[in-house]
Order: sequence, then C-alpha cells, then structure tokens
Amino acid sequence: MNAIEIKNLSKNFGPKQAVCGLNMTVPMGAIYGFIGENGSGKSTTEKMICGLIPTSGGSIKLYGKDHTDGTVRSSMGVLIEAPGCFPSLTVWDNMMLQAENLSIPNPREEIVRVLRLVHMEGTAGNTFKNCSLGMKQRVGIAMALLGDPTLLILDEPLNGLDADGMRIMREVFTSIVADGRRSILVSSHLLGELQKVATHYGIIRHGKMMVEMTAAELDASCRTYVALQSGEMNRTKMLLGCKYARVEEDEAGYIRVYDLATPEEIVTYLYGNGICVTEIRTDRIGLEEYYIDLMKGGK
Amino acid sequence: MENTMRSAKVSFAGRIKSMLKVDFRRMFKSKLFYILIACALVMPILMTVMMAMMDGSVSVDPQTGAETVMEGPENTWQNIGTLPGEPLGGDEIFMMCNINMMFMAVAVFVCLFISEDFRSGYAKNLFTVRAGRGEYVVSKTLAGIFCGALMLIAYFVGSVLGGAIAGLSFDLHGLSGLNLALCMVAKILLMAVFVPIFTLISVAAKQRAWLGICGSLGGGMLLFMMVSMITPLGSTLMHVLLCAAGGAMFSFGLGAISRVVLRKTSLV
Repeated sequence: MNAIEIKNLSKNFGPKQAVCGLNMTVPMGAIYGFIGENGSGKSTTEKMICGLIPTSGGSIKLYGKDHTDGTVRSSMGVLIEAPGCFPSLTVWDNMMLQAENLSIPNPREEIVRVLRLVHMEGTAGNTFKNCSLGMKQRVGIAMALLGDPTLLILDEPLNGLDADGMRIMREVFTSIVADGRRSILVSSHLLGELQKVATHYGIIRHGKMMVEMTAAELDASCRTYVALQSGEMNRTKMLLGCKYARVEEDEAGYIRVYDLATPEEIVTYLYGNGICVTEIRTDRIGLEEYYIDLMKGGK
Repeated sequence: MENTMRSAKVSFAGRIKSMLKVDFRRMFKSKLFYILIACALVMPILMTVMMAMMDGSVSVDPQTGAETVMEGPENTWQNIGTLPGEPLGGDEIFMMCNINMMFMAVAVFVCLFISEDFRSGYAKNLFTVRAGRGEYVVSKTLAGIFCGALMLIAYFVGSVLGGAIAGLSFDLHGLSGLNLALCMVAKILLMAVFVPIFTLISVAAKQRAWLGICGSLGGGMLLFMMVSMITPLGSTLMHVLLCAAGGAMFSFGLGAISRVVLRKTSLV
C-alpha cells in the first residue's frame, strides 16, 4: 500500500491552473523529496493533500483511503508555511493545545518526547514569539511529530535551520521512517540537504509531475564527469571540445568533461598537445545539478 | 493506517469538548480577553462618575451665547436597560454608551480570536488532523458567547460600583430584582444572536482581522438598536424566551453557513 497516491489531480484558481493532471506516488516508509521551482504547485498540492483547499479534479488517496477520511487525517502531521503556534504563548502551551486537539493521552510525556527529539527540551518555557527562526522551525516540526503521526507533510522544514539543526532533522527523518511504517513528504529548496535523506523524489513543474524516481535511480542518472584546470583554459576547452561530445566550463572555473573519459586519458591527450594540467578530479553531479539540468532541458 | 496514539474514533461531543478546552485555555491566556473584561468593568465606573460630576454644569456656546445644562445620570440601572416609562431605545444620556456596547465590543474579541487561528497557521494544523469544521464553529461561538457573557457581567458590576461611588439611586421604579436578573439573562442569551454573526464574518475574513472587525461592527450595527428594545430593565420570562429562541436560531443557522464557508473556501 502506498502512503500517498495521487491521480490526475488538478487545481484552478480562476483562469490560472496551478496544478494540472498531477500523478504522484509516495510509498510507505519513504522520505519523498518534493522539488520544484517557486510557484510550480508544490505547496498547492500539499495543501490539497491536507484538505486545506478543495481540489478541482482528480483523486488523492492516503493509505488507500480518500484524503477526506477522518481516520487517515488523524494520523497526519503537517508543517506548511507556519508552525501553527500562537506567538504570545510559550512553546509548552502551544504544544499542549495541539496535544489537546489531537486527544493524545499523557500529553506531557509526549511533548517531552518530541521536544527532546528536536533538541528543544530546554526551551519549552520560552514564549514562541521570542524564539529564533530556527527554533520556531524546530517547534513546528515537533508539533507535527506530536502523537507519532504515520504521514508527515513538511513544507520547507529546513528553512532557517543552522548546520546542527539540519543534521538533527536528518536524524529525526531517518529515525521516523526506519520501521517502514511511516512516510514523509518533504519539499525543500535545499537540494543538497534533501539528497542526504530522501529515498524518493518527485520533480514538479508548472503543476505537472516531470519525473518521479527513487534515490537509486537518481544516482544512476547522475553522470560522472572529469573536472580540470590548466594554464591555458581557452585552448584546453577548444582541444577537449574537439575530442569529447560534452565539454563545459562551470561557475568555479573548472572545465568539465562529461563523456566516459578517464583523467589519465585526458591528461595524456592534453600533454600530447602541449598543455600542462594543474588540477584534475572525477566527480558526480548531485541532485541540485540534475534538477537544474532538467529544468534547462524543459525550457 | 491508523495511529495508536492519536485517537481517530473520538465522538462529536468528545471533539467539541477537547476543542472547547483548547479555546478556553487560549482565552484565559490571552491578554486581549483580560483587557476587554477590565475595560468592561472600568468603563461604566468612569463614565458614571464623570457624568455625575458634570451633572448641572452649564456650557455656553461662544458664538450664539446659548447655554446648555449637562444632565447626569439619575439612576444606576440606566446603564443596564430602559427604565419603565422611558422610551424604548434608552435614556438619551446612555442611549449608545450603556451595557449594550458590549455586544459590539465582543466583535473585536471574536474577530481577533479567529483571525489569529488563521494567521498563526494553527487552523491549518487543526483542519488537517481533524475534518470537523462544525466543531470549530461551535467551539468559537461558545467561547465568544462566554466572553460576551463575562463582559456583560463585568459591565453590570462596574455599573453598580459606579452608581455607588457617584451616589446614584438604585431604585428599580417598581420593578423587582427578578426583572433585573431576567434582563441580564436575556442579554446573555442575546449574545448568541450576535456572536454567530461575528463568527461567520470572521471565518470568511480568515487572517484579515481588520476586515473581520469592520464587517462584524457593520453587521452588528444592523441589530444593535434591537438590543435595548428586546432586553428592557423590566424583562420578563417572555423576553428571555425570545432571546433564547433568537440565539438558537442564529447560532444554528449562521453556524451552518460558517461551516459551509469553511468547507468551500481555502483554509490558508
């Protein structure tokens, strides 16, 4: 059974089509990285999954049931845009309100558990409005985790987190899905961070799913390349361009050769043409570059 | 997949109870609530004392030379309702500035209370994990009525204190204490007519508090003049029943419309 199964989903805001014919499958136990440009329809899709905005067409199934079904809805945790806390109340009071809403037995123990999980146990007495952006984000995630939800929907949960905060979140996400029973749908523009935890990806553009793949499939799609620098960059680029099909110069000033060439071959070839290579390495394009390539290809 | 910790099989009454607990907990931790109650308590004291002090003072128009003699209150209960023998709508001094103002003041509370739910993202969490828009409307309406009732009681207490400080008469002009009690009960029940209006406008306005407040004050004004007529100082059981019937009708009718508004519109 899939955690989320969306078929032909659409949403119109007047004449504007925010989501059109979107299909999406989030398997159980997955950390699904939902990626797209600003205004591509990510948040709209997430809001429709959460039942916060009505759909214009299509179907959304959560654990095999319609997304409006109360039993599946009560097993969800969400963080969309704002953490859902009242600024004038303390973190603890906000958590208590949410625990009460969820009818959680032993709310105090549960709040302590989730605050400890996001390393916020020492700040429960702070007024929410006095928390830093990163702390607010962690509180938002803790709120979403209250009551051990089986499906988490997190919109930009990594925003505002420092390096340690991101590491903690990665650990939290990984531990949540460890038993294969829970799933996380997470959208983020921090693709490097997302790649460290996501097991599945969905890339959305103009309200349509461009590609859905597993982390292994992404890994296979991410080509290796040889990056190098020499004393004569222009001539090097020209020479490599004659021999290899795809040669590019990146933002850092390295020449990239994408064909299945080894560094030894390239060094020998350039040396034969009187060019001395000063630096050379093999590398692999990441999710970020894959995504940018995909977007460029789609334009 | 069901979650063991989060109980999905909570009855409607159970859900209402937990939502009410949340709303009341929030209300009692809200500064706005205490400010409004304090205003409701202090305002009649200040107003009554000040107006009593100004009683008999003469002001002269410098251009026309016309003299105006200020008339202060004579009876403490003028603050609460129309005394027998006076025109319905109230005494000229207290026509607008009496206990009935609380019906408009509660609009501020309801609008800010509801708009904060949407502004903070709390409503998003709530509606995602709970499908019940009905519970939300019921809970907010009851919290609003409760706050309104407390404001009315605070205003009543303030009026009595103000009357005592200013040395005004406590004569009920032939009415009994029961009439006075019924008048207050009728006013409290009448809150159930006003609060659903404010709730409906607030859920439609969502995070736009200013729109909710302006709309609520405008909407409330349409019924405002009715308050003094339907809840005079000499209220009887009939007045109470009338207010209860009106309250029930407005609460159910407008509550249902509020629920539809929440179902059919975006909650973000």
